[in-house]
Amino acid sequence: MSDTQSFEDPTTEAKLGLGTHAAALIVVSIVALVGNTVATENTVPQGLLGLIVLWVICMVGLLLTEFVPFKLPSVAWISLVGIVATLPWTPGSAWVLDKVGHVNFLTLATPCLAYAGIAIAKREIEIAKTSGWKIAVVAVLVMTGTYVGSAIVAQMFL
Amino acid sequence: MHIKDILFDWRLHLSAVVITVIAEAIGVIKVPIGIGAILLLPLLYAFVLGLLINPNVVRSAKVWIKDRDVSAASPMIVIAIMPFIAKFGTIIGPSMSTIIDAGPALILQELGNLATVVLAFPVAVLVLGMGRESIGACFSVAREPNIAIIADKYGLKSQEGAGVMGVYVIGTLFGTFIFAILASILATTGMFSIDALAMACGIGSGSMMAACSGALVSAVPEMKDQILALAGASNVLTYATGMYLCVFVALPVTEKLYDWLGRKDAPASAAGE
Repeated sequence: MSDTQSFEDPTTEAKLGLGTHAAALIVVSIVALVGNTVATENTVPQGLLGLIVLWVICMVGLLLTEFVPFKLPSVAWISLVGIVATLPWTPGSAWVLDKVGHVNFLTLATPCLAYAGIAIAKREIEIAKTSGWKIAVVAVLVMTGTYVGSAIVAQMFL
Repeated sequence: MHIKDILFDWRLHLSAVVITVIAEAIGVIKVPIGIGAILLLPLLYAFVLGLLINPNVVRSAKVWIKDRDVSAASPMIVIAIMPFIAKFGTIIGPSMSTIIDAGPALILQELGNLATVVLAFPVAVLVLGMGRESIGACFSVAREPNIAIIADKYGLKSQEGAGVMGVYVIGTLFGTFIFAILASILATTGMFSIDALAMACGIGSGSMMAACSGALVSAVPEMKDQILALAGASNVLTYATGMYLCVFVALPVTEKLYDWLGRKDAPASAAGE
C-alpha cells in the first residue's frame, strides 16, 4: 500500500513577488517571441508589440490577485483582465485586439509544455509507477468523463 | 530555491527556445483513424521533447539538464501559461455576445464535470476493487485546486491523497494527449455540435484546454473564433466555480457513493455499527 509514501504538495506555489513575476514573464515572452516568429508570418516587431500588450495584461492580473481581498487564482484574474480589455464597448479595445492579433494563441502554449516536460520530477515518475495501472485506467476514465459529461450537458441546453 | 537560479538558468530557457522552434517547425500532423482523426499538435511534441531531455526520464540527458534545471522548470510552467491565458482573454472579450447567447448551456455544462464520478468511480470500486483512494481519484480531474481540497480534508499521505496524486500525475503526463485525442475524435465523428465540444474544453487547466481547443480548431478551422471564445469562457468559469462544486457537491457525493459501494473493511473509522 502507499501509506508510507510522502508527497510534496504541488499546490504550494513558490512565493514569487511581483518583481520576480515581471522578470520571469519577460523571459517567457522572449521564448514565445522566437516561437511566434517561426510559426507564423508575423514579423519580430509585430510579435514583440503583441507580447508587450499581453505582458501588461498579465501584470494587471497579478496586481489584482495580490490586492483584491477575495481569492481567485491568478490565471482567473489574468483572463478577466484580457476579457475586459477587449470587450467591444471598452475604449481602445480595437487597438489591443490589433496588437495581440499578431501573436498566435497555440504557439503561446508550446513553451509552457516544454517547461512541463523538463519539470517532471523523479517523484512523479515514482508515483506513476507505484500507483500502477489501476490509477492510470481510472485517470483516463476521469478525464473522458469530465469531457464527455460536459459536452452532453452543453449539447442538451444549446 | 533562489529566484536568480530560476531566472538566469540559461540552459533551461535555451532548451525551451530550441524545443519550441522544433515543435513549431514540425507543425500540426493529422493521423486518420477509423472513426475520425487524431490531430498531433506542436504543444504535444514540446512536452515529449521536454521529457526526452529530462534526466529523470532519459538518464543520459543529465549531461545537459541537471537536477537544478528540473526544479527551476517547475515554477516556469505557471509563468509560461500566463501570456497564453491573457491571449485567451482577448479572444473571449470580442465574442461576448456569442458567449451570452450560449449562457445557460455554458453555465450548466459545468455540472458535466461531475461526470468524473459517474464514469470512473463505479469502475474504480466495483471493477478494480480499489479502496478509499478511489475517492481522491474520482471526485475531480485532480488539478492543483482539487489537490488542495484533499490535502486540507484528508492530508496527502492518506489513501485519498494517494488517489488524487495518482490521477494528478497521470493527468500531468498524459492529459494533454488524452484531451487532444478525445476532442479530435469527437469533432471528426460529428456526434456532438462543435459548440458543445468547445465548452467542454474548459477543464480548469490551461495546457489541457490548449490541447483540447487546439485540436478542435485544427479539425474545424472555419469556427476558430467561436471555439476559442467558448472554450476560454468555460475554462474561466471552471477556475471560478470548480473549487466550490468540488467542495460542496462532488466530494460529498463521492463519499456517499463509497459508503454504498465501497469495501467494508476500510480501516478509516471502523468503530460504530
